[in-house]
Amino acid sequence: MILREVEDPDLIAGTKRGKVEAYNVLVSRWEKRVFNYLLRLVGDREDAMDLSQEVFLKAYLNLNRLQDASRFAPWLFRIAHNEAFSHLRRKRPETEWDPQAGETASQPRLEPIETALAVSAALSRLPDEQKEAVVLKIYQGFKFEEIAEILSCPVSTVKSRLYAALDSLKETLAPINARGVE
Amino acid sequence: MNCSQFDWKGYFLGETSGMDRTGAEEHLKICPHCRQELDRLRSIRAMMETLPEEAPPRRIAFVSDKIFEPRGWARFWNSAPRLGFASASMLAAAILAHGWLMAPRPQTPPPDLAAVRAQLEAEVTRNMQAAIDKAVSDAVSRQARQAADLVAAAEQRMEERRRMDTIAFEEAFQVLQKRMNVYRASLGFGSAQ
Repeated sequence: MILREVEDPDLIAGTKRGKVEAYNVLVSRWEKRVFNYLLRLVGDREDAMDLSQEVFLKAYLNLNRLQDASRFAPWLFRIAHNEAFSHLRRKRPETEWDPQAGETASQPRLEPIETALAVSAALSRLPDEQKEAVVLKIYQGFKFEEIAEILSCPVSTVKSRLYAALDSLKETLAPINARGVE
Repeated sequence: MNCSQFDWKGYFLGETSGMDRTGAEEHLKICPHCRQELDRLRSIRAMMETLPEEAPPRRIAFVSDKIFEPRGWARFWNSAPRLGFASASMLAAAILAHGWLMAPRPQTPPPDLAAVRAQLEAEVTRNMQAAIDKAVSDAVSRQARQAADLVAAAEQRMEERRRMDTIAFEEAFQVLQKRMNVYRASLGFGSAQ
């Protein structure tokens, strides 16, 4: 008998048959990625944790709508994207953009290394849409087409957001890089 | 080849393939300007990778909850063989419908309407008479029951009154007897029992 690793589509099928344990395995595979995606968008651990739970609950309740199990990742991140931007819209009045914010309140708790702080600050200064494109591409490794599916926009929009973000990051991080801080 | 023809960001992000990628790599060998551009992008990525992934502060887990579990029919409906079952059901229904529609019907003579009407009237009359008899019988037995209850209640009241009279008489007799004893004692006779 040839043993093979249980793959996501198997777990999705099991969940659709009512096996909660199958879904828990699926969650354990994806929770860290979803949490980090949300953390980099919303910048707060507790908020990212609450949103992660919401994302997995909504995914569970709507799993029957997922037609192609091989597209689980973009589908899951689409839900995460919706949750994150609903959250950002709700929080916007109390978190008006502050040019110093990236250097003070929220960033140091992520990583106490200067480079990481600089990256974190540079990311926080990007518009939400550009920041999300960077997170999905650089940190989550999705292809352009998958990002377009997650964001529900054309590939050309994904590219323009990502390229603009890279230009901004180059400009912000180049001086630090030139000082040799790593 | 002109440097502006190359999409270095796309190349850096791994979104260039085939001839484009080969052409870009050939160009890099001869163009220090484009090599520098690509190095800048790579150093940005190296810096970005210093930002570590974090573990979620709590694990996410779901417990089995009947509210969220799909019901039996929903589980079946979402299962793989549903299409096979649906098509088999439709086929079976079509065969049954065809068999029922095409089956020869027995030829029955038209009914005699006058006879049917007479039969219905006799049936109605019979049922009505039975209902009237039952209602009369119920009323008579109800009245008999009420009369018996009234007689029983009157007898009970008379018995109660007789018992009370007896008690009153005995009490009066005892009082009279006590007075007689007192009188006898005052005259010097013994008391009566």
